[in-house]
Amino acid sequence: MAARPPPARPHIGLNPSPRFSSYSTSEWVDDDAWDSGSDSESPTKTSWKQPTSKHASSSSPKPVPKSGQNNSSSSTLASSYTHLHAPSPSSYPPRPEQPQPVNKNGWTIVSKSTDRLRGADHDESAHTGDGAAGAEGDGSDLILGDLDPEVAEQPAPAPSKPRQDQGSLRDDVDEIVNDPLHLIRRRPPKRNHSLPSSSEPGGQLARERSIKSNRRQKFVGCIMQEDVNMAQLRKLAWNGVPSDLRPVTWPLLLGYMPLPAPLRASTLARKRQEYLSLVELAFARNREGLDQQIWHQIEIDVPRTRPGVKLWMQASTQRSLERILYVWAIRHPASGYVQGINDLATPFFQVFLSAYIDSDPEEFDPTLLPSHVLNAIEADSFWCLSRLLDGIQDNYIATQPGIQRSVKRMTELVARIDPPLAAHLESENVEFMQFAFRWMNCLLMREISVENTIRMWDTYLAEGADAFSQFHLYVCSAFLVQWSKKLREMDFQGIIMFLQSLPTQGWTDHEIEMLLSEAFVHYSTWHNAQSHFGK
Amino acid sequence: MSEGTNFDYLFKVVLIGDSGVGKSNLLSRFTRNEFNLESKSTIGVEFATRSLNVDGKNIKAQIWDTAGQERYRAITSAYYRGAVGALLVYDISKHATYVNVTRWLKELRDHADSNIVIMLVGNKSDLKHLRAVPTDEAKAFAAENELSFIETSALDASNVEGAFQTILTDIYRIVSARSLEQSADHVKPSAGDSITVQPSIDTSAAGQKTGCC
Repeated sequence: MAARPPPARPHIGLNPSPRFSSYSTSEWVDDDAWDSGSDSESPTKTSWKQPTSKHASSSSPKPVPKSGQNNSSSSTLASSYTHLHAPSPSSYPPRPEQPQPVNKNGWTIVSKSTDRLRGADHDESAHTGDGAAGAEGDGSDLILGDLDPEVAEQPAPAPSKPRQDQGSLRDDVDEIVNDPLHLIRRRPPKRNHSLPSSSEPGGQLARERSIKSNRRQKFVGCIMQEDVNMAQLRKLAWNGVPSDLRPVTWPLLLGYMPLPAPLRASTLARKRQEYLSLVELAFARNREGLDQQIWHQIEIDVPRTRPGVKLWMQASTQRSLERILYVWAIRHPASGYVQGINDLATPFFQVFLSAYIDSDPEEFDPTLLPSHVLNAIEADSFWCLSRLLDGIQDNYIATQPGIQRSVKRMTELVARIDPPLAAHLESENVEFMQFAFRWMNCLLMREISVENTIRMWDTYLAEGADAFSQFHLYVCSAFLVQWSKKLREMDFQGIIMFLQSLPTQGWTDHEIEMLLSEAFVHYSTWHNAQSHFGK
Repeated sequence: MSEGTNFDYLFKVVLIGDSGVGKSNLLSRFTRNEFNLESKSTIGVEFATRSLNVDGKNIKAQIWDTAGQERYRAITSAYYRGAVGALLVYDISKHATYVNVTRWLKELRDHADSNIVIMLVGNKSDLKHLRAVPTDEAKAFAAENELSFIETSALDASNVEGAFQTILTDIYRIVSARSLEQSADHVKPSAGDSITVQPSIDTSAAGQKTGCC
């Protein structure tokens, strides 16, 4: 490879949004330098790799033998996270002359409001010393005299631990890495955590809150057992997992984290180390040693995974995602990487990231994470994604028989639960494959938000290993049938267009829970009545 | 818009080509005049329509945008059936996507109607400084293979309208010539009627079956 190929979608990568520009420029430049340093053509820059090299040598598998002229440390690429030399649009320096689409205005506004927030922080810290709520124009010299040293120090740490724009790392990340349950022991339930601050009458709000905290108590009780009772955990999780308990609950439900408490720390440590080794092995022979077809597709898709979401536009997150997808793909040669699997990795990454930070994962800059924390998040995401995919692998092998089967069964099922709709679709020549293929391939992630998906997966994971192939079918059917009235008034074109961009943008947990309940009813009615299906 | 049933001809067209060459953005530029910097990969197939005027006739294009990844070929090739036109897209800044054009042509030969009108489209012409496929080379290739050819940019909108206008005009001319030839044939629109290219895979598949059995 003489030169790095142009980015897959240069239009995207070369256009940093104003929202990012406050810090991303320098970061991209760093990343680029980092990248070129790891190219095998420039063997001079090796000294900085020594620490990681030492680290990597402790991992078990032997690196694949390399030709002598290779960079001596190339085998350690795997464990040092920032310098896989995969070119990616986001690692290219920004180019200002690209035409900007009109909708970029929105981003500017965001960045402004951030500034305003930061400004407000400053004002507040100034006022705490003063007591008087002065206007912006207050002479700082006036206030200065009244500040105690403690307050005066406040503005200094603020930039080093940014809150509004980059998110904040918890100070006990090390404890959480070693013991995920530390999360629960330390953090008292956040008040109002996920409650909608709506205009509902106070009484109902209070009741909801008490139900929630009651549920949370039960959850905590269940998870804190020395040997978690899986049946009980599933039962609780079916109705949704409190968001701060998800990073613990999901791995338990997936069987990634052992149920008996004493085994957890060592298992996690081993699995994370194992992942490191897999990465190391997979990337041991530089770019040329990669499976080009798989890598090429991953390279194209990673920059357009959750486009526009800050977390996923970060070079660091993108490198993590590349490694997760690539390692999974080469370990599953029958399917390899298939578009859409990238989407499925994102809920895991966000959920596990949320354990270590006190802010919105989607707004977080993962370069703030210590490398062992990022490794833990990445490894946990990899293993959990692997477990999920284990249940739906035939969705992604040649000719995608799993999807074909699911769509066929969904067609039959809808004919049972909503004959008029089925008849209408048929009379309009609408084939289920035309819209439901994507519903199966991406598990509805293109139809609903990631927040919705995460809530949905609470139930799927509680349902058990085959939920992503079986229960999902009922969810898809319920999902379709709920638009029945509308669809029955549309013609072919209207139906396809409508199903391609469903009005689910405003969906909250409530709509998802209704959907899951509907699906459960259908599941209970039909799942054990297989003879009603074609086969 | 009043696109509903008010058309003289309905043509089914497919958009094919390697992953990441800009098929979806070509389609959204043509049908909605939108270009999305933050578009996701297409999974399976997506659909859009737009009506155009050709020789005084209202032509409705029903366009199926397909996923580029090889693994989806089984799904997407089903949509070739019944298509009267194909836009075969490559990225002028990525030579490999141009090399693969040959493979895509084979796909069409294997799965599509032999009379399908094919247009070779070199997209991302705005990336002049990254050009990896010379215009002349692609033009010569297109001529050899009897394809029409155009370079477009979905980003700056250049030639997008032209590309679709050209292929739909070509299709229209062929179809109307054919219907003149075989005036008794069912494809000739009787007064007020229209030729509809069935969107349904099922229907066209059934049609094929009766053809060969």
